[in-house]
Amino acid sequence: MPYDDSKVLRRDVLKGTAVAAAGAVAASTLPTNAVAATAANTVQYAMVIDARKCNGCHACSVACKTENNVPLGETRTWVEVIEKGEFPNVSRNFLPRLCNHCSEPDCVKVCPTGATYKREEDGIVTIDKDICIGCKYCVQACPYGARFINPISGTAEKCDFCLHRVKEGVVPSCVNTCQARARTFGDMNDPESDVAKLLATEAVTTLRTEVGTKPNVYYIGADHTDPKTDPDQYVRIETNRRQQERV
Amino acid sequence: MHADIHWGLPIILYFFLAGMGAGAGVISAFVLLRGEGNANRYGGHSFSIARIGALISVPMVGIGTAFLILELGSFEVGNYFRFLMLFTTVTMSPMSIGSWLLVVFMGVASLYALSFLKPDAASGDANDGTRRTMAMLMIPLGACVAIYTGVLLGAVPSRPFWNSPMLPMLFLFSSLSTGVAAIMIIRVFLNSESEGKEAEYRLAVSDFGLIIFEMLSLFLFVLFAFLMVGNSQDAILAIFSGGLASTFWIGVVVIGLLLPALLEARFLTPRLQGGAFAAPRAMEMLIPAAIIVGGFILRYVVVIAGQVTGPVGL
Ligand code: SF4
Ligand code: SF4
Repeated sequence: MPYDDSKVLRRDVLKGTAVAAAGAVAASTLPTNAVAATAANTVQYAMVIDARKCNGCHACSVACKTENNVPLGETRTWVEVIEKGEFPNVSRNFLPRLCNHCSEPDCVKVCPTGATYKREEDGIVTIDKDICIGCKYCVQACPYGARFINPISGTAEKCDFCLHRVKEGVVPSCVNTCQARARTFGDMNDPESDVAKLLATEAVTTLRTEVGTKPNVYYIGADHTDPKTDPDQYVRIETNRRQQERV
Repeated sequence: MHADIHWGLPIILYFFLAGMGAGAGVISAFVLLRGEGNANRYGGHSFSIARIGALISVPMVGIGTAFLILELGSFEVGNYFRFLMLFTTVTMSPMSIGSWLLVVFMGVASLYALSFLKPDAASGDANDGTRRTMAMLMIPLGACVAIYTGVLLGAVPSRPFWNSPMLPMLFLFSSLSTGVAAIMIIRVFLNSESEGKEAEYRLAVSDFGLIIFEMLSLFLFVLFAFLMVGNSQDAILAIFSGGLASTFWIGVVVIGLLLPALLEARFLTPRLQGGAFAAPRAMEMLIPAAIIVGGFILRYVVVIAGQVTGPVGL
């Protein structure tokens, strides 16, 4: 699908007035609150990641760490590496990962304080840092390893789809930075959005569907996530946490 | 997969101590209520058995809970009272329900323990009414405290090792048997050889029964994980190979279950055949000690195994 720059808003640092303008224009593609959505059609932000386009440059991970001041050794979004096959028939593929902003999030279900919640207005799953006690239950419960405890604040943390940017009508930092245009962000319930169009036309998959959390991050061409090959010929390299000793 | 151990020793100690304390509380209340109508049932010792259980229950659960708070991320960074956020809301999270349950349990268990506190406390004294009422509350509350930790772990599909309905049952029976064991071992230290053997016999019988149920729960826990395809089956292999296997088989199965069950059977059998129950003092110490060690290792293996395994595939 050809990339349409007019639909995806990027903060243009060259134009001094762009920030305000972006906010205004953005209202058409990224509704900032529930008012923008009709009663029958609530907003659910989603991301479509075209794994065929990702070349594993990790720019998204870096942009995210800068944008969100993510502590050393932790990541909110990361790029995994999956290697398959036996020489000379081998392949190496990439898989950008982040919180799936699930429709049935287990992290929300287990949170004892209500610190983790799914925003009704846009479906973003986020954490109230002032309430979280750092019990780590949500870290255990997320089937996607999306969460960690911030060593400085002692509270749970993960991707929030750059809520502070999205509120202003700007796409998340990782989407903005991806030079391969592998990531597309928007309201999947708005048929005019880029994500809705991709979801309508492309074959997509989500990760670990069997756990039933109904993820909202979709992948195109991510068949390398299927590990049904011989385990000796399948290597998945996780890159999200500082390498830790095995127990 | 590299393992992130988010819940370490403090949580393991909490599960172990809270389980044992709640178990001791339940056993205490049970012995008190059962002993009332029939003074000879525990050789006239029902009150002193109940007293030990009542007095150890509160500190055990209390110390366990303190460990729990120590491992909160907020506590680690110096937000010492942030955990009170737990009590500003009630959610359907097993941890929220468990926290409220702990508060109620601690209140009831404290009142119950207070009724035994006076050196001359005895059946029929001024506190008898409170004691009896609290004892009736202790049984369901203690059982719930013992069970909820298993529900808490079992509630998350992301951890296939824990995600089993048998886990709460396993934790319940382990809590009760370690609770009896704690009472037994304290009695050995408090009492001279001449103490009535009827009480020891009663405790050993109930302990034996509880261990059998614990074995059954563990067997079903492992069996069902094996019968599943995929995630659960893969996760249960953590206790059959790798670093946790020997800890599990030696610590939980041999030390915690087989050894005490066989020894107890050995000393219980003569009595069933019309003889007397007579276990040497060394055995009276060894059996409960093995049960308590096994109970701790069970929590250790379960908490760690759940975190080093995860869903297969992506
Ligand atoms: S991916 Fe994990 S952290 Fe994100 S919403 Fe789903 S369960 Fe929660
Ligand atoms: S760590 Fe914080 S957000 Fe996560 S379950 Fe506990 S209180 Fe909720």
